[in-house]
Amino acid sequence: MIYLDSAATTLQKPDTVARAVAQAVHTMTTPGRGGYRPAQRAADTAFACRMAAAELFDMPEHPERVIFTSNATHALNLAIKTLVHPGDRVVISGYEHNAVTRPLVALGAETLVAQAPLFRPEVLLRQMEEAITDRTAAVVCTHVSNVFGYVLPVHEIAAICRERGVPFVLDASQSAGVIPISCKELGADFVAIPGHKGLYGPQGTGLLLCAREDVNTLLEGGTGSASALPGMPEVLPDRLEAGTHNMPGIAGLLEGLRFVKRTGIGRIRAHEERMIRTAVQLLRGMDGVTLYASPDPGLQTGVLSLCMEGMECEQVGEVLGKRGVAVRAGLHCAPLAHRTAGTFETGTIRMSVSAFTMESEIRRFAHMLREIRRNGAQAV
Amino acid sequence: MVYYLIVCRSLTYAQRTAAVLERVGITAHILRSPKVIAGEGCGYSVKVAQRNLSDALRILVQAGLGPKRVFIMESDGSYKEVLL
Repeated sequence: MIYLDSAATTLQKPDTVARAVAQAVHTMTTPGRGGYRPAQRAADTAFACRMAAAELFDMPEHPERVIFTSNATHALNLAIKTLVHPGDRVVISGYEHNAVTRPLVALGAETLVAQAPLFRPEVLLRQMEEAITDRTAAVVCTHVSNVFGYVLPVHEIAAICRERGVPFVLDASQSAGVIPISCKELGADFVAIPGHKGLYGPQGTGLLLCAREDVNTLLEGGTGSASALPGMPEVLPDRLEAGTHNMPGIAGLLEGLRFVKRTGIGRIRAHEERMIRTAVQLLRGMDGVTLYASPDPGLQTGVLSLCMEGMECEQVGEVLGKRGVAVRAGLHCAPLAHRTAGTFETGTIRMSVSAFTMESEIRRFAHMLREIRRNGAQAV
Repeated sequence: MVYYLIVCRSLTYAQRTAAVLERVGITAHILRSPKVIAGEGCGYSVKVAQRNLSDALRILVQAGLGPKRVFIMESDGSYKEVLL
């Protein structure tokens, strides 16, 4: 199979990830639940994972502010439900995922959307400048659009937030492991990260990086600490990690983080950029194909959306799937991004790559699209 | 041998504490705090030898990990709080 859906989940992982998961199943319980060896092993692994993440995201002094979550959606819910209350005004970009917009709807927040055109960061910044005021409860912004791979100017947006004293939440779902993120430089209040995408961990893992300690709980329960207290401990990470930890996931995530560090974020990004450039070169000029590619490669990661005239995206996705090519078609859980880019009615076909994608796979994918274009879906 | 127990805010703080001390060559063991000193129940402490205590406290304060409380383990197995 040619796997081009890494923006959803990276399927090809380093071998060390699967080995660590399997080993954890047999050798670990959960941190903080005993002085016996399997509990200690779990505690050591969890701490090593927090440290590895704290170092990768440039907050090495604060591993306790690396919170294990079940995915980035969980992390975003923690951040948003700490900062936003019913009726509060929140500013978001026009490229947010449902993981951001749905919690805001559930809270009854008043949402202002900076809906700038695709690959026009200067327009987005102007809109953000206008929208963010001292009445803004929070700004939530994705680092990279999961539909278009568009890299948003989040450092500049964070700077506006700092200047105006507004909390900033970064959704790093598509950038963690692909673009360097320094929590120190960014100064975000929260950074939400999935474990199963660019960090190459297993599904069911995620991280919330906190620059503050006053975070509201989503779950309450046992933490193996301060057990005599009726309420949750105030201290992080315990406050936000009720219940038994996903130790196989955390052990796998640790190996994923080590892989990213060993390989180098710069190398991963360069490889992904090369794959996308190859795809654009092969597909550009193909009759009836619209590509959503940035002329500036610095503004796009390893995600490329396209549409084929006269064919529904879902239909193309299905045909490719039957021929062993995994892409994602439709709205990608980000209807707002499609509205902003003008693709809401059609959706797009999205291909997305990882450190393991090969150029031959991109060529094969382009060849199949050409065949579909030439012969129609039924001929394939 | 006389040991001191440095009481930590959580398991993760105990791990940070032990890591900082081990980095400068001070042997440090994490253990679940005995019930009499755990206060809120289920706490964690880092055990260090008497000869290392003053260095350990200095290093921890420098690292922003000033201890919550410190106890001395008496030879009869009882614990007595050390005023910092």
